[in-house]
Amino acid sequence: MNRNKTKNLLATVSILVLSASSAFAEMRDWTSKDGKKLQAEFVGTSGAGNSALVKLKLANGNVVNYPVSKLSELDRVFVKSSLPTDPAALAAEIDKLVLNKLKESYYGLRKDLADLASDTELTNAEKIKRKGEIEREMEMCIPNEMTNDEQFMRRIYLDVAGRIPTYAEAARFLDSRDRNKRAALIDELLETDAFAMRMYNFYSDLLRVREGVEMMGNGDLKVDPYIEWIKQSVKDDKPFDQMVRDMLTAEGHIWDNPATGYILSDSGMRLCNVSNTFTIFLGTEITCAQCHDHPFEQVKQIDFYRMASFMGTTETRAGRGGMMMMNGSNDREELARMSKVLMDAGKLRMNETTDRVIQDIMRSRRSMVNETGSQKVALPHDYKYDNGEPYQKVKPAAYFGDTVNLEKHETPRAAFAEWLTSPGNPRFTVNIVNRLWKLAFGLGQIEPVYNIPGHLDGQAQNYELLTFLESMMQDMDFSVKDFLRVVYNSNTYQRESETLTPTLTQVDNGTYHFPGPVLRRMTAEQLWDSMVTLTTDNPEGMVRRGWEDYRELMHTDTTKLTTLAQIEAYRSKFRTIGRGLSDGETMMMERNAGRIGGEKMVRASEMEQPQRAGHFLRMFGQSDKNLIENQFTSGSSPQVMALLNGSITNKVLTDPEAYLIKEIIYGDGRKGDKVDKIFLSVLGRMPTSDEARRASSGMRPKKDRDMSDRDRQAMEVAAIGDVIWALVNTREFLFVQ
Amino acid sequence: MKQELKDNLNKLDELSRRQFVARTAKTALGVSILPIAGASSKVLAAGGGKAEHCIFFYMSGGMTHIDTFDPKPGTETGGNTKGLSTGVAGIEIGHHLPGLAARFKDIAVVRSMTQKTGDHRGGSYWMHTSYQPRATIVHPSMGPWAQTLLGKKHETLPDSVVIGGGGNHPGAGFFGPALAPLPIGDAERGVQNSELPNGVSEDQFEKRLDLMNSFDEGFRRKFKTDEVSAYSQFYDETLNLMNSEDLETFKLGNEPDYQKKLQDYGNTRVGKGAMLAKRLVKSGIRFVEVQSGGWDMHNGIDNAMQTTGGALDKALSSLIDDLKAEGLFEKTLIVLGTEFGRTPKINANAGRDHHPRVFSTMFAGGGVNGGQAYGKSDKLGMAVEEDPVDPRDFNATIAHALGLDLNKVVYAPSGRPFLVAGHKRDRETDRVVTEGKPLLQLFS
Repeated sequence: MNRNKTKNLLATVSILVLSASSAFAEMRDWTSKDGKKLQAEFVGTSGAGNSALVKLKLANGNVVNYPVSKLSELDRVFVKSSLPTDPAALAAEIDKLVLNKLKESYYGLRKDLADLASDTELTNAEKIKRKGEIEREMEMCIPNEMTNDEQFMRRIYLDVAGRIPTYAEAARFLDSRDRNKRAALIDELLETDAFAMRMYNFYSDLLRVREGVEMMGNGDLKVDPYIEWIKQSVKDDKPFDQMVRDMLTAEGHIWDNPATGYILSDSGMRLCNVSNTFTIFLGTEITCAQCHDHPFEQVKQIDFYRMASFMGTTETRAGRGGMMMMNGSNDREELARMSKVLMDAGKLRMNETTDRVIQDIMRSRRSMVNETGSQKVALPHDYKYDNGEPYQKVKPAAYFGDTVNLEKHETPRAAFAEWLTSPGNPRFTVNIVNRLWKLAFGLGQIEPVYNIPGHLDGQAQNYELLTFLESMMQDMDFSVKDFLRVVYNSNTYQRESETLTPTLTQVDNGTYHFPGPVLRRMTAEQLWDSMVTLTTDNPEGMVRRGWEDYRELMHTDTTKLTTLAQIEAYRSKFRTIGRGLSDGETMMMERNAGRIGGEKMVRASEMEQPQRAGHFLRMFGQSDKNLIENQFTSGSSPQVMALLNGSITNKVLTDPEAYLIKEIIYGDGRKGDKVDKIFLSVLGRMPTSDEARRASSGMRPKKDRDMSDRDRQAMEVAAIGDVIWALVNTREFLFVQ
Repeated sequence: MKQELKDNLNKLDELSRRQFVARTAKTALGVSILPIAGASSKVLAAGGGKAEHCIFFYMSGGMTHIDTFDPKPGTETGGNTKGLSTGVAGIEIGHHLPGLAARFKDIAVVRSMTQKTGDHRGGSYWMHTSYQPRATIVHPSMGPWAQTLLGKKHETLPDSVVIGGGGNHPGAGFFGPALAPLPIGDAERGVQNSELPNGVSEDQFEKRLDLMNSFDEGFRRKFKTDEVSAYSQFYDETLNLMNSEDLETFKLGNEPDYQKKLQDYGNTRVGKGAMLAKRLVKSGIRFVEVQSGGWDMHNGIDNAMQTTGGALDKALSSLIDDLKAEGLFEKTLIVLGTEFGRTPKINANAGRDHHPRVFSTMFAGGGVNGGQAYGKSDKLGMAVEEDPVDPRDFNATIAHALGLDLNKVVYAPSGRPFLVAGHKRDRETDRVVTEGKPLLQLFS
């Protein structure tokens, strides 16, 4: 979808409203769902989504409001283009549904409380306990205050850009007098590279994007094209359903078709891949059914194998054909030949006969998604139910949703992709909507997000809201960007965070109704990227180097490389893929590129995926990318020690080259109070007077004859370091308020 | 749903689906243990349960069996490794391990280990977890298993520590990060970031903490969520740890007679790892893993064995002596494991390649009867000849020594059942039971 579609539509809608009387001033026949007919003039609409109303002017001049949902299909299509798609109206609908639920829940609880007194089954002590619980829940049914600009700003930056605002960004937003500045900021941030980086972190946790997919048997396959494809899909706002179809149907090598990265991630583990696909895209856990009928869901073991059979003709290794070189020699011979040239020139390690880099190249060539036409999935050796025999092959079939017509598609896999992403699939849209809701609010409408029940009513926190979000996503043709734009524009999102933790009972019974977002600890990436923001004026300035030469290298006919120089150049070029950074113009391979205070301060999405164990990012919960949604935000002593004593808080942030120190505090032409600047940079707010007093003590050493200017400056720098250190160590910094 | 499946999942059906999901979705707990019906096996009767601690030496890369615990001198596969008498009739070990040969009365070797994969990561994963790698779950390693089944051993110290580990350690797996072993990269440097950085004095640190607390006061007063309190608690605990004697235990240099001991254990990664492991065990930590590389000997195995094998011999020998001197040997199980053995045939580079069909491991202390060899490889060290032992049996043996219940079912958050030494369905009772069987012969 065009990224400006919503904006354009917004403009269109306002024109429509103005000109409605002239453009639509004609009588037409209207038909309701149950066949009733009516002649009326179309005057406009109100509301949005499920509760949208159409305004119809009857012949007698009366205007009636009629629910759009009760119109015939034809009339709904007629009205649809006039329905508001502007974020504000849709956001208002979210707010209405949330408030309804909060109110309903509040009255219900009040009744529970009243009934408690006459309860004869509970002891007094139990009643007191229950009373406390109910009162706590009632408190959480009252919508929170709206955020102030400082709170909103910090949250929206963290949620959309994935990091805190820079000092300049913060000052600009807070100084702005534009009444619509919140909506404008949301629009602006959604168009930044920072948003693509943030969403990449979300997707890579879900899809398990990792480099050097060793455990899955891909050797050192370089996955740069896949990484960039995900980021580019976010930038292009590729419809989510399209993105999923691309991944599920991709064929070929990763350098020719980056979307193959998804299926290659589970290379050699076909059955796991099927389970993972269900978890990621349908929020459904079917792994159990690999070994036995699922104990709770209506999924039988045979269903699992029927589903798996959709992927049964897909291979992640090239067949013999794929290995052949242009002149007919094969990879093995080429490896031996080139290794020998290197060995003869003494370029291999002692006692080595095979060059490891060239071996990686040859292995990479074998990694490709291809269709063989031969079904590899069969029931397991110990299959014990009556409806099949061990080793029996089963016909691909879906156990819920639309019936799949295999004839209509070229491969079973294509049929599967179509079924999975079709609007008729009851879980596909709900899954992504629920996951995005969780991204914005810290808690899904359905928890856990990977276990969406077959029937949503009564399971979701707010069934009406969830179905509204579902239809909204479909109306938006799966534009994740537009969907998030609406969510972020809602009052529900812009309220203060909840100060209490939703209890597990609340989460479980679906009785947390979002008086505001849940208070969340920053993700590891948000935390790291915020540290990066404190060290540079352009946190998105350094990005991964492109991979243009990868394709060319892999398409090279190696049999033409005969001299030592040619072979050496070839292998060293391959080694640089996936390494180095770029500032948009120049490529940097040096070790110190992007380094400040000895650490590589570059956004998490532009670094190795994932970081090595023990890195700050991993310590704070970056996923190891082995499992779906494997990031964590729980605390540990090593984290606290890293913040108390580690290099980031003690060296990097206070490095003379760090943005905060160099530009903001000591930069030319920067006026204003140092303490204010530090607070705004780190916490996105101004200090209270008490805080300002405490912070500045020691920062302005008294004039002392015995003290040189240099010493005074050193004292000031140390005091500034103390304040930065202290602020970064607060819970306020670590959490998204 | 079929009745046997219900039973199979140990009466999970008594919980509604939602309750079940909630129970297993509590990421904070990460794990739920449901009681199983029927009495569990009594390990004490079989000589197990004597080990309060375990030091697990993991030889990363695939330790050659023929050049260490299962020499084949004089055969076509024996290479240049000679056999060394152990004092036990009929048992010799490789000449690179003279210290262990001299202490063989305390050592039991297993010469019939076997597993299925020749890739490092898959093999290492299986040895650490009893399960083969899957793309849908990460299984826990033994330290976190022990903590889950027995409870936390020490109030303030972590339950398990991995010294010198790489990035691929399965850690606590689905038990969640709270149970993850504390990683120590370099034994000499101790816990990362545990000391004040250069240039920051105690006074300055105190001042910073004061500032932090005053800046954070409003936020903490307003947000009383569990997560915020948990972090504040982590700060308190960490500050206590920094000031406590607990941290002292991680400082290798504080070991009495450090220089002398460094000579005994060897100034090597494995030597220092062993010495630190002893310190940690002494102060109450239950499970310490020492990882040591250099075993992927594709090239020049004789030279490699001299350094790597020699270092291991010194480290293990000194550890046994030291634990005995401190009175810890009987309650500390020493285990040595690796992902696979190496090919009997010596390759063109005078090295040996990956060989999962048969390999060796070693046990000592913690109730193990020394002076014996369990199982047998064939004449050339190609395959198992008697009493095959797979990674599940290997871990069952560790579990047995520690007194863990091999049949305790633990459910992952996704609801799947797992056991400490792998699981299978028992045909008679149709329950999930342990697949790994402990080597009871090793225990007195």
